[in-house]
Amino acid sequence: MSDRALQDLVLRALSDAPFRASSEWRHRALADPALLERFARFLARHFYYERIVHFFKYSRALARVTGRPPEVVLRSPTFDALLPAIVLGSRESAAAVADVAVAHVSSGRRDGIPYLGELLTYERAMMVAEAGPRVWHDDDLEGAGSKEQYAPETVEGTVLVNLAHDLPAVLPKLLESWTEVPPCPERPTTLLIARSRHGRVAVARADAAIATVVELADGRTTLVDLAREAGLRPAELEATLAGLTELGAVRFGTGS
Amino acid sequence: MHEGARTDVGPLSRSLKVGAFYNPHLGAELVRAEGIDHLAMADPPAPNDPHWPAIKARYTLLLHDYLGQLSEPLDERSIQRARSLAEQYRTPWVAEHFQCLHTEDGRYNINYVFPPLYTEEFLRRFAANAKALQARLDQPLVMENIPGFFDVKASQMPEPEWLRRFFDATEVGFLLDLPHVWLEAHYRRQQPRAWLAEFPLERVVELHVAGVEVDEDLQGPWIAPSEPSDEMLDFMAHAVAQCPQARAVTFDAFSPSLRAEVLFRSVERIRQAL
Repeated sequence: MSDRALQDLVLRALSDAPFRASSEWRHRALADPALLERFARFLARHFYYERIVHFFKYSRALARVTGRPPEVVLRSPTFDALLPAIVLGSRESAAAVADVAVAHVSSGRRDGIPYLGELLTYERAMMVAEAGPRVWHDDDLEGAGSKEQYAPETVEGTVLVNLAHDLPAVLPKLLESWTEVPPCPERPTTLLIARSRHGRVAVARADAAIATVVELADGRTTLVDLAREAGLRPAELEATLAGLTELGAVRFGTGS
Repeated sequence: MHEGARTDVGPLSRSLKVGAFYNPHLGAELVRAEGIDHLAMADPPAPNDPHWPAIKARYTLLLHDYLGQLSEPLDERSIQRARSLAEQYRTPWVAEHFQCLHTEDGRYNINYVFPPLYTEEFLRRFAANAKALQARLDQPLVMENIPGFFDVKASQMPEPEWLRRFFDATEVGFLLDLPHVWLEAHYRRQQPRAWLAEFPLERVVELHVAGVEVDEDLQGPWIAPSEPSDEMLDFMAHAVAQCPQARAVTFDAFSPSLRAEVLFRSVERIRQAL
């Protein structure tokens, strides 16, 4: 085994609690188990602190009303109970940690924040979308080729969030200084949340045509069928797919 | 004054400069601040940062972003990003870390600085990739030491020896993080000054200084966005005297929880201790 592969084992042990507990890892005896466990727990708290502070920044801004800063859950028994199963960067762990934050904020005061539940749904979706393996080197990208011959496919982790409030209208205001909680217009809104190969999470408003393309793009549905179902002309579908690909919501398969 | 002849580290000026990290939430205070010579940039400025134009106009800026881990060659996109940031900041040097924090396949990422195994293979990797990066930059590259909380038995040599051989092979500069050295000495049960003496101090261009605090998970001290203790400042004064090429000392705290008074008092105390 190369030294690089050994380093990867250590990184996996620090990231992946079930692996850390496995005989496969323990038999290697590469590091003091107690010290490694301490550092892994330190890393887990740091890893999710950064993500909660970033993705739950709007409910953080509302904490003086709710009385529930989301990041405090990282020093709670509920979070500690997750640690034996945590795999840093996995969608399952991101969802589990986000659920703890959502439950904590939801238990606070909600007076004057009728959209708090939807805000938490949105923030949770953003945090989960960010999880998963990412491309660190452009050399790792799939080879370029003619995309037109392949059917588009919605990327795993891409989600559509249907809301009764127009959250994008209020989000910037929540981060400004305010005395009264900023109101949010009641207006049916669909948001598309996706992540690029490099791990950048993006959100965009989605109309019915975009939602149809995202829901139907499975790597088999043809461009002709997608255009018909979404009610788009070929040029409109091409532009829509270009935008969705840029966001990381859709990719073109390899044809295999 | 600390002047050296071996490494050309650019035009930061001849005297030892004292600075801090740019913390965007303290932008308004930093625009008005006195006594800060430079700001290190850990992240690019946000597009809507109202203080950025004044910060950029006023300060010498040091590029200290995550450019990539040099256990692998940086790809063209990362190199162009580094070049673009260096040009935007007009940085006198470009900093990276001796770190290997994600697996080669990208599946696992601990999202926190973590050292490589100190082996011949990693030495070859880091030296080759640092030289390749240096060749694509218009500014000198400096590399920062990273602390290990535990030893990995696969390492083949002590960290200072590995670093010395790296710097001899590459001629890049050394960004000496003193709390990292102090923490390693603590966990190795050594005297910080004795451990520090093992490092290639003649290569040091910049020093980082910060506080340490007890962490509950680690059950011991670790890096924290807090004021350096008097002991750490004494350690810094001792270290600076051993670093003939040092050009700058930076208060190494970058966190949303950092308070303005901590940053300003730390910079002032660093200056007084030098």
